[in-house]
Amino acid sequence: MIDRRARALVVRHWRQHRLALLVMAAGLALFEFVITRVAPEPGQTGFLGGLLALLPPQVASFVGSELALASPRGVLAFGYLHPFFLALLSAWTIRVAASALAGEIGRGTMDLLAARPVPRWAHALAAWLAIAAGLAVLAGAAWGGMAVGLRVRSLGVAPGQIVVLPAMAWLLFMSWAGVALLASALGREAGSAIAWTSGIIVVSFVLEFLARVWPPVAWARPLTLFAYYRPQDIVRDGVAAADPALLAVVSLAGFGAAAAIFQRRDL
Amino acid sequence: MAPVAIQTHDLSKRYGRVRALERLSLSVDEGEIFGFLGPNGAGKTTTIRLLLGLIAPSSGRATVLGHDPAVRSAWRREVGYLPGTLALWPGLTGARTLDLLADLTGRPAAWRGELVDRLQLSGEDLGRRVGTYSDGMRQKLGIVQALQCAPRLVLLDEPSKGLDPLMQVAFYDVLFDVARRGATIFFSSHVLPEVERVCHRVAMLRSGALVSVGGVEDLRRALPRRVTVVFRDESAAADLSEFGRVLARSAARVELLVAVDRVTELAGRVALLPIADLLIEPQRLEDAFLEQYR
Repeated sequence: MIDRRARALVVRHWRQHRLALLVMAAGLALFEFVITRVAPEPGQTGFLGGLLALLPPQVASFVGSELALASPRGVLAFGYLHPFFLALLSAWTIRVAASALAGEIGRGTMDLLAARPVPRWAHALAAWLAIAAGLAVLAGAAWGGMAVGLRVRSLGVAPGQIVVLPAMAWLLFMSWAGVALLASALGREAGSAIAWTSGIIVVSFVLEFLARVWPPVAWARPLTLFAYYRPQDIVRDGVAAADPALLAVVSLAGFGAAAAIFQRRDL
Repeated sequence: MAPVAIQTHDLSKRYGRVRALERLSLSVDEGEIFGFLGPNGAGKTTTIRLLLGLIAPSSGRATVLGHDPAVRSAWRREVGYLPGTLALWPGLTGARTLDLLADLTGRPAAWRGELVDRLQLSGEDLGRRVGTYSDGMRQKLGIVQALQCAPRLVLLDEPSKGLDPLMQVAFYDVLFDVARRGATIFFSSHVLPEVERVCHRVAMLRSGALVSVGGVEDLRRALPRRVTVVFRDESAAADLSEFGRVLARSAARVELLVAVDRVTELAGRVALLPIADLLIEPQRLEDAFLEQYR
């Protein structure tokens, strides 16, 4: 029976993080709106394509593919791969996960919560749900900002055609939520959970980039979750069925492991 | 025989080489106010955390209200808990804190209004963020959250910490009323007078091990007697160390601690000696307790 009690925990997360969430959502909406302002119109793509061909291959690879920015859709997709977008979604995921388990232990408040008739796994579940809801708000705000931009400036792309991008971003960060919750379930302080998760995400991001541009480490690419989130490929070829499946499995596995560990560990 | 609220059998907790609690076996009846005494680091908080299932025992077992604390959590609906180091959410108001914790308990906060009145927390206080509270107010809020849902068992870890003397008295009255309504109270403290005042039975813990357990009156009765013998002159002063531990000796005066069952024998011996005065009094519980501490 976690009904009303699990809801109380989710509401608590919402109250604790709502201000930060709203600021981040506004920032993302504005950012994606700006992306629609800088994207080339269909008639400008040839000129931009020529410019981009001059970029070093490493930089071109960073933005997704050599000619990714040469089309309006490519630029819009880059808006969902930009470090600003990734950083804000990472910040939300890490913040809520670290605060919910390790943070409560570090503050000393977990004793009061865990002495209640709520199974410990429900704390992990509440955090997972709060992260999911917050990521949906952030991804939705990003898409909303872009949709407004596309209404103001016609780039030949309907907002509905790119809704899969925020959806995949949501799924990518839900998989990171699994990792973040696992780090939080193992920790005793929010700081250490934040450090571990941030470190893993940054290393993963860098590794994915290196694996793309440096053949000796290309083998490592499938080991990073970012390899299963390729906005440029998605707008060009659609979603590869295995990618969302793998991200969902990682998310559920991370959550499951976090819940199981937190259920048994000493507080 | 009253039903048992808490039972532990050889309950132990180790952290690596450190023995936080060693083979604790005790039983607390329902409706009892049970004092758990010991100096800092004696294992009082560890015991309470084990009883709540916040930590797992290294060996031994416990049952609380008939349940293994590590299995399931529904039994905690009937438990109120005040941690020794109370941490609250500074951004929440007092009222929100109480609402959150009552919601998580899943029972109506039937006693909140009365507790808030008796502990003198005003509506204005409860409307303020907890981060602005003094230590004493935080402790009062902690007591209210522990008792507000009319628990059947209350685990209090040094609950009077931070309360002024008047508020301590109000708090003890609250405890008596809670016990009168049938709740069991497990009360840890290192302040003997409050345990003497409030508790029916008391257990003493030192370095993770149980030293003694019994009714406060029983413990007092079983304490050694403090015997002071004043002889008429120095030359008459006798060596009485065979009867007990000599606490002090001056020219014609001897003070010693004598076990209850040897007092008559000592009196018989002293009656044959030239004494000016003889005083036999029970050792103060506090002195006995301090001795256990050392």
